[in-house]
Amino acid sequence: MSTVTLIDPTMTATREIEFRDALREAMSQEMRRDPRVFLLGEEVAQYNGAYKVSKGMLDEFGPRRIIDTPISESGFAGMAIGAAMMGLRPIVEFMSWSFSLVAADPILNNAPKMLYMSGGQFGCPIVFRGNDGAGGQLGSTHSWCVEGLYSNVPGLKMAIPSCPEDAKGLMTTAIRDDDPVFFLESERMLGMKGHVPEGDYLIPFGQAKVRREGTDCTLVSFGRPVNFCLDAAAELAKEGISCEVLDMRTIRPLDIDSIVRSVRKTNYCVVVDQSWSFGSPGSEVASQVHQHCFDDLDNFVHRVHSADVPTPYAFNLEQEYLPNARRICEAVRSCLYRA
Amino acid sequence: MSMLSEPSTSRPFDVHGKPGERTSAPATTGRRDPVDPALCRQWLRDMLMIREFENRCMQQYQDKKIGGFCHIYIGQEAIAVGCTAAVRPNDPIVTAYRDHGHALARGMAARHCMAEMFGKIGGCAKGKGGSMHMFDREHHLYGGHGIVGAQIPLGVGLAFACKYMDEVIDGRPNSRVALAFLGDGALNQGAIHEAMNLAGLFDIPCVIICENNGYSMGTSIHRGTTMGHDIISKAIGYGIDGYVVDGMDVLSVYHDMSAIVEKCRRESRPAFVDMRCYRFKGHSMSDPRKYRTPEEENQYTSDDPIGRLKLHLEERGELPEAVLKEMQKEIRDEVREAIAWSEASPEPPMSELYHDVFVEPHGPFNGTSLPQMLQGKDLR
Amino acid sequence: MPTTVTMPRLSDTMEAGTVIKWHVKEGDTVASGDVLADVETDKATMEMQTYDDGVVAKLLIGAGDRVAIGTPIAVIAVEGEDASSSGGKAATAAAPAASAAPAAAVRAAATEAPVTVTGTVVMPSAHADTGARARISPVARRMAEELGVDINSLRGTGPGGRVIKRDIEAAASRKGGAASAPTMPVVAAPAPVAAPSMPVVAGPGSREVAVSGMRQTIARRLVESKSTIPHYQVSMRFNMDPLLELRKMLNAQLEPQGVKLSVNDFIVRSCALAMAQHPFFNASWAGDRIVIHGEVNVGVAVSLPAERGGGLVVAVIRNADQKGLRQISLDTRALAEKARTRGLGPEDMTGATFTISNLGMYGVDNFTAIINPPNSAIMACGAAVERPVVRNSQLCVGTEMDATLSLDHRVIDGAMAAEYLTTVRHNLENPATLLV
Repeated sequence: MSTVTLIDPTMTATREIEFRDALREAMSQEMRRDPRVFLLGEEVAQYNGAYKVSKGMLDEFGPRRIIDTPISESGFAGMAIGAAMMGLRPIVEFMSWSFSLVAADPILNNAPKMLYMSGGQFGCPIVFRGNDGAGGQLGSTHSWCVEGLYSNVPGLKMAIPSCPEDAKGLMTTAIRDDDPVFFLESERMLGMKGHVPEGDYLIPFGQAKVRREGTDCTLVSFGRPVNFCLDAAAELAKEGISCEVLDMRTIRPLDIDSIVRSVRKTNYCVVVDQSWSFGSPGSEVASQVHQHCFDDLDNFVHRVHSADVPTPYAFNLEQEYLPNARRICEAVRSCLYRA
Repeated sequence: MSMLSEPSTSRPFDVHGKPGERTSAPATTGRRDPVDPALCRQWLRDMLMIREFENRCMQQYQDKKIGGFCHIYIGQEAIAVGCTAAVRPNDPIVTAYRDHGHALARGMAARHCMAEMFGKIGGCAKGKGGSMHMFDREHHLYGGHGIVGAQIPLGVGLAFACKYMDEVIDGRPNSRVALAFLGDGALNQGAIHEAMNLAGLFDIPCVIICENNGYSMGTSIHRGTTMGHDIISKAIGYGIDGYVVDGMDVLSVYHDMSAIVEKCRRESRPAFVDMRCYRFKGHSMSDPRKYRTPEEENQYTSDDPIGRLKLHLEERGELPEAVLKEMQKEIRDEVREAIAWSEASPEPPMSELYHDVFVEPHGPFNGTSLPQMLQGKDLR
Repeated sequence: MPTTVTMPRLSDTMEAGTVIKWHVKEGDTVASGDVLADVETDKATMEMQTYDDGVVAKLLIGAGDRVAIGTPIAVIAVEGEDASSSGGKAATAAAPAASAAPAAAVRAAATEAPVTVTGTVVMPSAHADTGARARISPVARRMAEELGVDINSLRGTGPGGRVIKRDIEAAASRKGGAASAPTMPVVAAPAPVAAPSMPVVAGPGSREVAVSGMRQTIARRLVESKSTIPHYQVSMRFNMDPLLELRKMLNAQLEPQGVKLSVNDFIVRSCALAMAQHPFFNASWAGDRIVIHGEVNVGVAVSLPAERGGGLVVAVIRNADQKGLRQISLDTRALAEKARTRGLGPEDMTGATFTISNLGMYGVDNFTAIINPPNSAIMACGAAVERPVVRNSQLCVGTEMDATLSLDHRVIDGAMAAEYLTTVRHNLENPATLLV
């Protein structure tokens, strides 16, 4: 990250804004800074964004840079990749990452491999972003957590913020990054408020953040479930269990060093990952922890995932299906032999 | 637009059209100016070069020097040569997996093309792409692409970027046009339809050229594609002008493509070309070609685009025997040298395995390690 | 020069091909692109073309023959060239062998393959051994080793009786204070050693070093020892000249066998023999009684190198009174080597009944040591140094060593200590007695 400098948020002015505002602020600031950056996707311009993330951007940047596309993910994702090969820096909004599946070939077969297949001649500086994970009773086809599928592919980076501050810092870094970045947001967090620094704010990729310090168990998580981990940690503290909560912030690159450091201290590790368990970031973390911390573990790494079924519609079933504070508490107690 | 004449009894095979069926009216490209004989001879040389290169590719493949899949361009040389002659050197080009001809026509040295197939460090992509993935930044070749149809959205994106740079960044028109090649087998892939819709919708200056050789692998166009006799109808449905061009005649290709490209450049609009041709060899090296008859093959191979151009020059006294002999010898030597050079080129060092995964280094993965031959080129 | 045509690779997976039919015969004129033969591959029957113009000089295999890729199958001579020129002949002669060998290879591969598969299927039967291995979590195993807890004596509270971290901690706290049976390992208390009541101020330039489990154990045990055992010291100086002379002589004789006795080996043997004579030096205070141990196990303090995390362990030489110098030497070396490389196991560190700490190799003259509970005594040895001495009323140069015993006054009184030291002195100054 040669161009990235970390600015301590405590050193600069912050104000409380929503997650979606933080995303928009990062995109707008980068578009003012670099004319190569543009945004395209369904309903991003005249409609002001299906989720109001791009609200007002058409007015500021005009239709040549805020581009409404038809519902045609395979087409516009591929088109944006071609533009990135020419040196532009597109931001592609998928209204939902669930819809990216019809664009699997361009986003998996072209973007992350172009640099390699061309022997270093053509890179692909592009950001794909959109809502990931269950939105709330959207049913199975619209509730995809794509991190399990896509993080398997070499050549891409994957960022997954859990709070407004990180949304801005990671988005700015993503846009300036020279490699393809998959940026996973959550519909359920867009309205979340938090203190976000004004001005340029970059968070380097591959640096986890300790969201809560603790001594008894390491909780590793990505994106929205980090917040469930914090809830669980507060609950477990009442039982005298002190959890350390690590917010990984990026899945690729994965900051395994921070995880190892924490697990060596606590001897227990629970991974909370909203994707399905089989071949997931959670299973990857577990594998790496077992590799690096074998002699430090008092129990195998426990994992909390979405249930291994298609996402159900019914409210109660969906609540139970998703990782939640109760299931995290149970996993921690079991891991610590206190179940 | 000679191709649209009724099939004559002397040409019983027509892989592209069925007699008596309704066809869309193709757009027309206007009158033809005569071409400088020297330029014609250059095209002849380029086409002979591709022919010899591909012939030797087959031999090298059969000698196990070339691995994987290998798709031969013999019979379609007039298209790559005529199309590249019709655009500016910095107009971006993207194509599918039958890409050796485009790479050579664009100016890639035969040795880099051959060494790529040999899996050597001297290859255009350091041996990481292979036969189907020829990239050449210096010559604005944005790849051969292995997934059928996937390159068309990319090509539309290349043209989009050209337009965006003019309108948003430079503020002055370079008016570049992108060429995106596909085979008729790609017509049934969703990606190309989405791409054509976007190109039509956004006024993107991309010429989508369907090298219509009548077969997607072993399936004739009429067995796989609706309106196979009239494929420009598909583009017309997206508001894109469609043209039918005789891809077996380099002069036609050059004339028609020049007019089409300039119109796209001027109007910032896409175009679609039904470039009618015939693949003389199999789909890939392991194709026994049992789906078509020797009689059909003979009819088309006797109408060889190289033979046509030779005849054109000879009739005008512009191709003395000695010149042709010398040309053929030079080409043979050049290809032989390319093979020897590729043989001598080292294999990529093991460190290359971890190069070019990311521009920015992460873990063991490094940014590019361009070898000498790729350095100093037009890199960003 | 004729061109040899070889069996071409006609598909990406093809290894060998069969000529189904020749389209040409010897003497035919062919041009580049002409079909020579139909070749059956693993995928299809394909036409095989020539890349050269000329005359078919020789067909090297017949229709129906199957040969590997690269095998010569025909010779083409440039028109006008002698069809039977040397290249063609050589190829002809080589042909039968060349075509036979690959065919055999193909058959061999086909029959060998299942054998290989069977082999790999049979192998994993070794899994049957489930054994009586203790179930224990990785970190618990590591802690047990560091704290000297015997995991076989524990009943795990984890699933299926797995010994887990808390079991080790509990065992450590349970056994830490009790100085009863000799085989009981001395283990750590669970809580970290308390910080001093005077606050530690981290001034400018200071840095903090994490305290390892071993360092915690050392701290805990020595605080316990020094604060609960009534220590006192008794010193004596020994004439080392006879011992050093004997050692020199013995080492010269033992050198071919790779044995090199150290001064410390003599000290271990001296102390062990003296312990057999003075049983209270082989004893532990047990609150309402004193336990005199049956075995004489001499512990030797070993400092660990920094790359193994530093620190101090006590390596135990069991039944040292029954071992000769040579065995003591071998045992000590083996333990020190193990401590510095793989690390000592609990069996190497538990059960000492007396401890020797020797800083002589660092040039230390004399020092006092803290008793290693549940021992009753520890001997601190300095360096053997040359000094002006009076022997037989003559001033001369002699080599002497100071040793200081630290003693548990609950078990050993001053006079007993003096008697013990006298015995040790006798042993050291008459080293021949150590040989029997």
